[in-house]
Amino acid sequence: MRYIKLPSENFGKFFNSLREWGRVYGPVKKGKVYSFQEVGDPAEMALDYNRTMLPPKKFFVGPRETILRLKNGHWEEETNVEPTVLFGLHSCDIHGLKILDGVYLNEPVDPYYLRRREATLIVGISCMPDEYCFCKSLGTHFAMDGFDLFLHELPDGWLVRIGSVRGHEIAWRHGELFEEVTDEDLANFREFEERRANSFRRELPQGGLADMLDLAYNSPVWKKYAEICLGCGNCNMVCPTCRCYEVCDRWTDAYGAVRERRYDSCFMENHGLVAGGHNFRPTRLDRFRHRYYCKSYFDPSAGYNCVGCGRCDEFCPAKIEHVGVLEEVRGSLQ
Amino acid sequence: MNPYMSHDARILEVKDLTPREKLFTLRFVDPEVGANFSFRPGQFVIVDVRGFGEFPISLCSSPTRKGYLQLCIRKAGRMTKFIHGMKEGDIIGIRGPYGNGFPMERMEGSNLILVAGGLGMAPLRSVLWYAIDTGKYGHVHLFYGTKAYEDILFRDEVIHLLKHGEAMNCSVKLAYEVESPSCIYLERGFSDRVCRGVVTDLFRGEEFNVNNTYALICGPPVMYRFVIRELLDRRLSPGRIYMTLERRMRCGVGKCGHCIVGTSVSIKYICQDGPVFTYWDALSTRGLI
Repeated sequence: MRYIKLPSENFGKFFNSLREWGRVYGPVKKGKVYSFQEVGDPAEMALDYNRTMLPPKKFFVGPRETILRLKNGHWEEETNVEPTVLFGLHSCDIHGLKILDGVYLNEPVDPYYLRRREATLIVGISCMPDEYCFCKSLGTHFAMDGFDLFLHELPDGWLVRIGSVRGHEIAWRHGELFEEVTDEDLANFREFEERRANSFRRELPQGGLADMLDLAYNSPVWKKYAEICLGCGNCNMVCPTCRCYEVCDRWTDAYGAVRERRYDSCFMENHGLVAGGHNFRPTRLDRFRHRYYCKSYFDPSAGYNCVGCGRCDEFCPAKIEHVGVLEEVRGSLQ
Repeated sequence: MNPYMSHDARILEVKDLTPREKLFTLRFVDPEVGANFSFRPGQFVIVDVRGFGEFPISLCSSPTRKGYLQLCIRKAGRMTKFIHGMKEGDIIGIRGPYGNGFPMERMEGSNLILVAGGLGMAPLRSVLWYAIDTGKYGHVHLFYGTKAYEDILFRDEVIHLLKHGEAMNCSVKLAYEVESPSCIYLERGFSDRVCRGVVTDLFRGEEFNVNNTYALICGPPVMYRFVIRELLDRRLSPGRIYMTLERRMRCGVGKCGHCIVGTSVSIKYICQDGPVFTYWDALSTRGLI
């Protein structure tokens, strides 16, 4: 890893240099929530944001996107991708993308995801946890890779970690904007990280979690929360690792159609439906439990399917708390 | 290569199997694609009805019969209704094959018990003809439960095997639920092998050499538990019980998430880890059956 310093006064120039690379999207405040939007001026961004409503997955797997286009009875692939810079991703979202990579870049590779991934520059940014964050418990509070550049806040600028060759190239081309890191910067960096580590208020103890949850399959806690749950699927939409999609064909004119994929939610009743009308998850309890099991599945090579970003809690209209449910389910075993 | 792109396949023949099911015989338009297409019994393909959508379906022909593939399609919804209206010469898209299929090599030399319920006959027909064509297996038992005489899929083949199966080292037992004159006629002719009841009734009085037998099950979800109980009662090892499962797979390649089952300790994708699982898998993965 190479570490350099971006002084505050050069931030604007650095931002503009990224615009040479492609369209820049960053966190923008819209009403009460934040959202990744195209930005032309760094002042439009809210760099101290807590979390956006939709995670960065929307840039790689769209809420609704065309994958194939029917022309003269034959499918043609949609290939238009433009270079994009995602500015200001939090560590948890970078980990979320890594989990999606594990799915979409596994054989057979999803060409749409791959093309967008290759055309996207990721610039991470450090953050302070709020009452919903529990990424520290899952080890996703610090990104070791999965970004091109990562900016850590310092009192007089940013400590930049370079995470890829593309990141190196940008720093190289605009070398005049950067300085070498001093001992004082490192002390500030460490102080920030320590302060941040001590700010987490929510914790998810992991010891034996997967087995405990499996053992608690019939726990009454699932039922209790399934009754509170509205089954709206909000948590799926805002989750950086939820990726269920439905495929639909849509006619655009008398001779042409497109094949689209759209976000799907395991909270929808028809998610577990198969031919003949049989449903493998007929009740809300089944669907509620399924989501929690899917998120808590531990893959030895990739970790949990949850990165602790807190979106499902913040945007749950029924105020169900992910960690709270898991803790209560685990507690119900005793 | 885009894994979501299907290949053109021409419908060579459409045959009515029952009032609800038709058998489609297909051949790839591009001979190269056809030559490269190989599969094992139990695998499935995704049928692409351009402009209407896609659905997964098991291959019901045997890979031993080269040059074509067959799909048994029940008219159940919008897309299958559209496909039922298609004629010989029409083109549909096929991509696949997907899934693991039955471990045919491992089972060589053993007896096979095929337990089919309703539409579950389709994937097991692939195994049936594979076993008969290759002659690499011991005795093949087919236990087939169906609603009524009119619902017997591949009726000609089933009745042919009822009559002449022994010559092919194959025996067929049939259970039906709704009485009809044709069934009574069959029952009179083959009183030891045709009965009114459900598929588990066919196990009555059956004993297997458990060290030399594999059971392969496919049918409606409710059937598995009861059939597995019959097999375990006869001391068949869970590792010798294979079942092929159904989910509404959209992508077939482990992306879309529709076929995920299991809990925090074991997540399986039916499309890639299955659709064929042993009973051991069912014991370690909740929600599989």
